Amino acid sequence: MEDSGKKLTYDALVIGAGIAGGEAALNLANTGYKVLLVDKELSVGGKMIMLSKVFPTLDCAACITTPKVSEISRHPNITILTGSEVSKIHKISENHFTAVVTQQPRYVHVADCTACQLCEQACPVSVRDQYQFGLIGRKAAFIPFSICSPKAAAIDIESCTLCGACEKVCPTNCIDFTMEVETFDLEVKTVVIATGFTLFDPKNMPRYGYGVYKNVLTAQQMERELAPTRPFNTILRPGDGKMPDRLAYVLCVGSRDASVGNPICSQICCMYSIKQAQLLMGALPMADVTIYYINIRSFGKGFEEFYQQAKGMGVNFVKGKIGRISELENGNLMLRYEDINTGKLTETEHDMVILANGVLPNTGIDKFFDNEKLALDPFNFVGQSDMLASPAKTSIEGVFVAGTATGPMDIPDSILSAGAASSEAISYLIQHA
Amino acid sequence: MKKKRIGVYICHCGGNISDYVDVEKVRQAVEGEEIVFLSKTTMFACSDSNQRDMVDDIKAINLDAVVVASCSPKLHLQTFRNVSIRAGLNKYTYVHANIREQASWAHSDNKVGATEKAIQLVKAAIEKSRYAEALETNKIKAIKAVAVVGAGVAGMKAALSLSDKNCDVVLIEKEATVGGRVAQWGSLSTTSETGKEMVSRLYEDLLKRSNIKLFTNSEVIGNKGSVGNFSLQIKTKAEIVEMSVGSVLMATGFDPYTPMQGEFGYGLSDKIITLPEFKQLIDEQQGQLIYKGQKIQNIAYIYCVGSRQTDGENTYCSRNCCTSTIHAAVIAKKKFGDLNNYHFNRGLRTYGKQEVLYAESLRSGDIYLQSYEDNLPTVAVEKGKTIVKINDILTNGREIEVEADLVVLVTGMVPRADNSVGSLFKIPKGRDKFYNEVHMKLRPVETVIDGITIAGACQGPKNIAESVNSALSAATKSYSILSKGELETDPLVAVIDVEKCSWCGACEKACPFDAILKIEKDGKILAEINNSVCKGCGMCAPVCEPDAVNLIACSSAEIFSMIDALV
Repeated sequence: MEDSGKKLTYDALVIGAGIAGGEAALNLANTGYKVLLVDKELSVGGKMIMLSKVFPTLDCAACITTPKVSEISRHPNITILTGSEVSKIHKISENHFTAVVTQQPRYVHVADCTACQLCEQACPVSVRDQYQFGLIGRKAAFIPFSICSPKAAAIDIESCTLCGACEKVCPTNCIDFTMEVETFDLEVKTVVIATGFTLFDPKNMPRYGYGVYKNVLTAQQMERELAPTRPFNTILRPGDGKMPDRLAYVLCVGSRDASVGNPICSQICCMYSIKQAQLLMGALPMADVTIYYINIRSFGKGFEEFYQQAKGMGVNFVKGKIGRISELENGNLMLRYEDINTGKLTETEHDMVILANGVLPNTGIDKFFDNEKLALDPFNFVGQSDMLASPAKTSIEGVFVAGTATGPMDIPDSILSAGAASSEAISYLIQHA
Repeated sequence: MKKKRIGVYICHCGGNISDYVDVEKVRQAVEGEEIVFLSKTTMFACSDSNQRDMVDDIKAINLDAVVVASCSPKLHLQTFRNVSIRAGLNKYTYVHANIREQASWAHSDNKVGATEKAIQLVKAAIEKSRYAEALETNKIKAIKAVAVVGAGVAGMKAALSLSDKNCDVVLIEKEATVGGRVAQWGSLSTTSETGKEMVSRLYEDLLKRSNIKLFTNSEVIGNKGSVGNFSLQIKTKAEIVEMSVGSVLMATGFDPYTPMQGEFGYGLSDKIITLPEFKQLIDEQQGQLIYKGQKIQNIAYIYCVGSRQTDGENTYCSRNCCTSTIHAAVIAKKKFGDLNNYHFNRGLRTYGKQEVLYAESLRSGDIYLQSYEDNLPTVAVEKGKTIVKINDILTNGREIEVEADLVVLVTGMVPRADNSVGSLFKIPKGRDKFYNEVHMKLRPVETVIDGITIAGACQGPKNIAESVNSALSAATKSYSILSKGELETDPLVAVIDVEKCSWCGACEKACPFDAILKIEKDGKILAEINNSVCKGCGMCAPVCEPDAVNLIACSSAEIFSMIDALV
């Protein structure tokens, strides 16, 4: 084995610092175990920290995530490595795993950065902001988003022209272009996988025109438009900056659709669309919102009532799968579908369309492991070796799985799943002590 | 009293507050108050960066206390108390003003009024801060044992998980045997194991554990005490046993809905049965499916019976009945061959990977008919025949009828009819009448009663895996409360003025937590507060005629000063 990195020893390695990984790490840490929490992104908080409000309680996502993030960041038993990936997890024996963590250089010394944003202002390079799902731009020297943690700048070295403008203005001299990839050799006793999910790219369904028609958005983009830390101060359609007044939601984009390779239901899109529709009714009181659906799956606690509430607010629900979307000259969109209630082929014009794109597995997690096989399920989510009686157990003893790494899940279910994974990990640590 | 130096933070809550309340105006209105040495607005007061700023501010300008005007204290009182601790202040000097739920959200139609109200609330908080004293938390010993109530799959899994953590468990089951509902089930979806086999596997494991004490045919009938030390009375078949535990984990499960007489024909014909009855039938029969002497050919499943009611009380979706029914229908067809399954549904909810099962059933030729929300299917019993009629959305509203040999009413989950244990611990219920968690996302397995956690379907409909996830989460929570051997409780309790008290019993009657004891001291009968049970709710104070009850941190001086600021 290579022996180049710094040596780190922890009780538990938690991979992924979204809401599930964070919850699992906190449970372990509060029980007295030392945890290394690794995330490949520049900030912890996962997907939830980017959301607006969350169903069915309409709590603001930031209000729930940021204090958790704060608790994780400050916990004496938790060490966080962002911008980092795990590989070569090797099981030596029960209670003894080794792994390698590779941290990409941020080119900013986080401890010294005050997030003053002077580097952002000085940087001459503009690129699309991935944290706003491309709705607006950001600089190559940038703070990922306003409530990120750690709150510090980073240099996007791919886009950077090495002009040095940021270095010149930085008042604490924390920008350092000599930073290099760091590797850490890790020894841990247990592993929790909380690598979350990825989203279906609607470009794979050209008939909906995403990426071609400017006023067709993904639900993540609309989520950003509705968030408190929104890029614009209101809801705008990207094509021409007009405020929309006839919005459409297309459900099951990339879900329940074997033709795009994903036969399963994504479990969250009905509810997040209904939530966004409710928020839109508040943000644009005069707008009409229509949700085109196959089945509305409001199955969780308080969900059906939330669905009925949306109907009561005037959200229009139409049963029918959208066949095709075409763009009109004024940027409006024509939706063609069979209205199941009438049995008629129908065309309806909208001025903005939101695609409720589904949940897909993050692939490649099994490749993290080098001597034991991490089994995947038929859909490439992390497999559960005893699905009903011990949902957090994987094919490798001592390795547990939390949240959407095992399949689509909403936030309450992810948190309970993380509770189960950390419970199993704590039991494992005690039993093998 | 030394004049305090107070910092005030007014939160935008990213628009939740600032869209309706003019936060800058609130700041200006309070910045001149004599004890306010700092006033700031902030986008997210709870964010990590703002918390750091607060600590720096407190230290830099020597503040004695801070007030944050933001959301409900239920969310973030603890967050800002912790900030105070990190800045070297006593956490009880912190005062919270709720200008979101009480101002911006309540008055979103009146921005001027919402702002005025927010100003008053913040001023009242500043007044309270003037009097808020430094207090010490109480430390109590925690017994490292958990009582798990209910030995279904959730209860058994919770018990095993606690046992793994070297925590003593008392597992209490009302019935003669363990396993709850799952023990009655045969084939389960996604596994080759039957319900009975799964329960046996867990039970065998249970028997090996020396730290789990199982009581069957038993019920909890009494409790004295509270978090850290509940002393329970358990009634077994033979005797009443006293047990002391530090935490109670409720896993009391659900009841299947029982349809009313005549609801979708229930009770009008013996051909109309419920889903649990159907599952039992297909599990027990071999070869041919025969019911009441008749071979069954056509089965009609009527979904959402007792769930998603528009007239009744059960407005919620029961979550797993769609999957459970389709699974039973698929199994029936596999086991008994030529059957026709007709699914009269209201939109299938086979969420997530369960979708695969729905696809399988479609491939096997099952027929799905979907009703309009305002026009549910009907079941008529005529001359020994049962006819199910529907206006089917999927065929453009055509009226379709099926003569069914068997009608299966897909009954959902309802809360347990017998709530005697829940009432004993005063566990609150939600609008669906299931036990209610503190917060669905932040504290999903805790109740407002400290030390009592909830797991499985007693909190709301769940399938087996979901129940187990919640059971293990609850086990971790109960364990983490007790693992350190002692725990801290808030000193915000009532105190009795022994000079004034002459025991009339009014406070004891008013107390919802049984925290008031009748004691004799120096020959005088008095009230005494059990500090570990008292929640400081204040119910006892106004009923006390001689004014012998006072509340710590809500003294008359504090309350009157707040009222002065509000009016």
